[in-house]
Amino acid sequence: MKKLVSVLLAGVMCASLLTACGGSSSTGSSNTSATAAGGTESTQTAAGKTTINIGVKSDLTSLDPHNHNDTISAYATRHIYNNLVKLTADNEFVGNLAESWEFKDDVTVEFTLKEGIKFHNGDTLTSEDVKFSLERQKESPKIGHLVSMIDNVEVVDDTHFIIHMNTPSNALISSLNHSGCAILDKSYTEALEAEGKTLESAPMGCGPYKFEEWIPGASFTLVKFDDYFDPETAAQNDKLVFKVIPEEAARTIALENGELDLIVDANTTDAQRIRDNASLALDECVSTHVEYLAMNTQKAPFDNKLVRQALNHAIKKDDIVIAAIDGEGEAFDNYIGKAAIGYYDTAVKYDYNPEKAKELLAEAGYPNGFTFTCYLAGEIRARSATIVQANLAEIGITMNIEQMEASTFYEKTGKGEHDACLAGWVANAEPDNTYRPLFTSEKAGAGGNRAFYKNPEVDKLVDDAATNRDSAAVQKDYETILHTVSDDAIWVPLYSKKGLCGRNKDLQGFTISPISMHDFYSLHY
Amino acid sequence: MHKYVIKRLLMLIPVILGVSFLVFFIMSLAPGDTARTILGEDAPIEAVEALREELGLNDPVVVRYARYMTGLLHGDLGTSYKSGRPVFSEIASRFPATLKLAFWGMLFAVLLSIPIGIVSATRQYSITDSVSMVLALLGVATPNFWLGLMLIIAFSLHLHWFPSGGAEGWKALVLPVITLGTGCMANITRTTRSSMLEVIRQDYIRTAKAKGVSRNKVINKHALKNALIPVVTVIGLQFGSLLGGAVLTETVFAWPGVGTYLVNSIKAKDTNAVLGCVIIFSICFSIVNLCVDLLYAFIDPRIKSQYK
Amino acid sequence: MSAEKTKKRSMAVEIWQRLTRNKMAMLGLAILVILALGAIFADVIADYDTKVIAQNISERLQGPSAAHWFGTDEFGRDIFARILHGSRVSLVVGLISVSVSLILGGSLGAFAGYYGGRVDMIIMRIMDIFLAVPSILLAITIVAALGTNLVNVMLAIGISGIPSFARIVRAAVLSVKDQEFVESARAIGTSNATIIFREILPNCMAPIIVQATLSVASAILSTASLSFIGLGVQPPAPEWGAMLSSGRNFLRDAMHLTLFPGLAIVVTILALNLLGDGLRDALDPRLKQ
Repeated sequence: MKKLVSVLLAGVMCASLLTACGGSSSTGSSNTSATAAGGTESTQTAAGKTTINIGVKSDLTSLDPHNHNDTISAYATRHIYNNLVKLTADNEFVGNLAESWEFKDDVTVEFTLKEGIKFHNGDTLTSEDVKFSLERQKESPKIGHLVSMIDNVEVVDDTHFIIHMNTPSNALISSLNHSGCAILDKSYTEALEAEGKTLESAPMGCGPYKFEEWIPGASFTLVKFDDYFDPETAAQNDKLVFKVIPEEAARTIALENGELDLIVDANTTDAQRIRDNASLALDECVSTHVEYLAMNTQKAPFDNKLVRQALNHAIKKDDIVIAAIDGEGEAFDNYIGKAAIGYYDTAVKYDYNPEKAKELLAEAGYPNGFTFTCYLAGEIRARSATIVQANLAEIGITMNIEQMEASTFYEKTGKGEHDACLAGWVANAEPDNTYRPLFTSEKAGAGGNRAFYKNPEVDKLVDDAATNRDSAAVQKDYETILHTVSDDAIWVPLYSKKGLCGRNKDLQGFTISPISMHDFYSLHY
Repeated sequence: MHKYVIKRLLMLIPVILGVSFLVFFIMSLAPGDTARTILGEDAPIEAVEALREELGLNDPVVVRYARYMTGLLHGDLGTSYKSGRPVFSEIASRFPATLKLAFWGMLFAVLLSIPIGIVSATRQYSITDSVSMVLALLGVATPNFWLGLMLIIAFSLHLHWFPSGGAEGWKALVLPVITLGTGCMANITRTTRSSMLEVIRQDYIRTAKAKGVSRNKVINKHALKNALIPVVTVIGLQFGSLLGGAVLTETVFAWPGVGTYLVNSIKAKDTNAVLGCVIIFSICFSIVNLCVDLLYAFIDPRIKSQYK
Repeated sequence: MSAEKTKKRSMAVEIWQRLTRNKMAMLGLAILVILALGAIFADVIADYDTKVIAQNISERLQGPSAAHWFGTDEFGRDIFARILHGSRVSLVVGLISVSVSLILGGSLGAFAGYYGGRVDMIIMRIMDIFLAVPSILLAITIVAALGTNLVNVMLAIGISGIPSFARIVRAAVLSVKDQEFVESARAIGTSNATIIFREILPNCMAPIIVQATLSVASAILSTASLSFIGLGVQPPAPEWGAMLSSGRNFLRDAMHLTLFPGLAIVVTILALNLLGDGLRDALDPRLKQ
């Protein structure tokens, strides 16, 4: 008996110790000198450093560009693969792999590829690769919808192809800029998948970086691709190491320590600390984000426009900016972020005026206020809601807060169980991807329209803006929509948060992107 | 005795069946749409529907459970809904980190708290006793995230002794081990102390003392051994729960363990990933509990007679 | 019958007398009484509407001062008032959820340990199953299915504690069940239930008391993790765990946001432990001085 016990125990102990040692040595070997000493070296010898360490909030989900739709994964895939087009800092689309394109008619676009572009394995990019990639993408449940307007891709020759659309769409070019529309190597990917392997086990494209390593939950690493075709967007560093640090405060500390050279999405609480630190710099930008209280327009009392307008007059947005995001943003009146393509200053503004709010309530038939419940997920929104709650109490409205876990929130608000809810939206480069989900009746509920706003006029305008090739008409459409929804007061827009990235002040070449599509190839000391 | 061990190992089968059934049931009750959570808020409804169909989420719970169990019988934990990768390999890549942290954290806690507990018991109501009690209580009442961040600020930011996070090399292990160990220490110290007190007062210890056996010998040989049963129980329970991952410590120190993986999977309603974790945990817990039960028999031969 | 009653009463008196001779236990009791009085008279000491939930953004994150003894939080609310009112929730959550685990887990563990064999095997394997269900999953599901209210939060925390108590009580029962006083009770034909509750459990109180008193702290900390994902007491109501978790963001700039709720938990379990230790000594039949 004693023997048995000791054998068992010894077994357990050895197993743990072995794993423990094994674990530390194997991960230790992949460790680079950059981090070993807890960063003491960093501040003195940052110059000449060729490995850039970047702190990110969570791990990537996939290295297959057709198998994810999240920013963190895109940090990797956007640097391993290239797209046909790219977005400039001035919000213009220019060729990336594509030399040029031309609309032959509303549904036919002719593309010319740049010549002699090499994949990481030496293959040359051809039109066949483009056709293969876009068709593979159409099959993807995660991002197939982005290219749903593409009917087929006709290959003319190695560098010429035609995209035939099944419906006129203004979203084609902007979609081609999305990380999901990455161009893969057809022969490589087919061979890999024929072997029963997945693309993400060995990702390979024609981007400025080759994939090196992914340690789930810990880090992912890219190394410079020497034969990259475009000197302008070629890597100016040797290696990018993305470190997953979920805790906000710990990520800032790692930057202060020198363990990291750059953190994307710096914590608002730490923004001032980074500004105050002489060896760090904080990059800021106006973003495409808008945070809002959505009122369920199908339910009493929020089916009454006057009530919704009353709420718009009752909330002190400046307090929310301070309490929720430490002042790192601005109180907001519009329904789409300022930096977004498709932003126009035509929204109706409501000033903070509790007296006016009370009058509107009385006019609407609620002189003594009412009680409702606001659903929300996440701590920052809980802070916003706490302020809203106190503001509304002053005009006699009782707002109960019900916090829930995010997936519960999506389900309940998708079904329209809420009176009101707190939500936020970050617009990407295609305005239709903002206007359609947020304001059209087809997307009421889970599609994004949590106000359950149903207005045939707005539906028509969104459709027109998506297909009309006259840009002046498109602008008019969007201006009218913004005016209409804000006059109907389907939300109370609360604030727009700044984009914030912290970095070592000696790190050069970083341009912050308002839609979190940062480029890392230009980073260098 | 061997029979008992074999019987206990065989009992793993119903335990795994029970756990998988219970968790599958709970997951299907839990709100939230897996496909929607995976695709995110801005994905169109059609895409969500397509993914639901592809993942087989539209089938009734019973059908999905049967499908899962068929796979499990073939030793297949299935693929994660979220990542599309095999659950087994996802857990396998994270489990060593969890085991490493749990083992060293527990060792740290045990090596410190048993001696402290003994000293406190032998000098009941002394200053040492009071100080150790207050420290132990501070340990249990301090949230891990608080202690962890304080340690990072002191030893990483200001002193540069250890890295702020990650799992590379022994240096990265120090702060998480202290954070995790401190939380466990309180319970072990207090249990050791009070069991020792209980045993010290029993007649046979007095007899041994009366017979002139030295104080240290009495404590080490007689008292400690008999006080061990509750202590071993507590250690086993804590070690078991650490094997299930220490979410807060992992988060603060960016430690790539199973705790955060499990919580993320629960939030994403990734049933396969959650079940995989839970099944592996239940095997670990059961083995730890078996070891603890065997240790009882080893410590107290009277208990042994029951293990037939 | 009446003789039995008198005996019971005289025992209780004797235990109480022994307890009062223990200064530390009395200190613990005194602290608990003060906490309880604070909770009961919270409204008198600090008005809920004007002190606890009234916001003042211009005074946010201020350190302790004469006006605000424990400083102010991220909305400029008085932390002292919030801790005082929060004790109503936190003490109740801590004590009730631990009682749930203790009563259910303890009984199961006692039966398993006492009967042994098949009963033990079945009960403890069921406990193994429960031990493997992640408590956070249990909490999310219970709260989502039954609604976000305090009772469900206590239920979720209480249920996840059952297996631990079962194992601890079982171990304690195993270590005393073969001792002479149990044998003799059995010999005179005392029923099994009576033996478990009258003879065995009083003799293995030490580990149970330790576990129970420390679990109160863990239970309050669990509410912190739960409130981190939005489950638990909803704003603007104060609760210690929720205060801890929201203070987490301001750890480096305004440590008092987490320090004071943390200290409140420490003081509470310190008092519970002092009293617990004293109770154990007072209940110990061998310690009749």
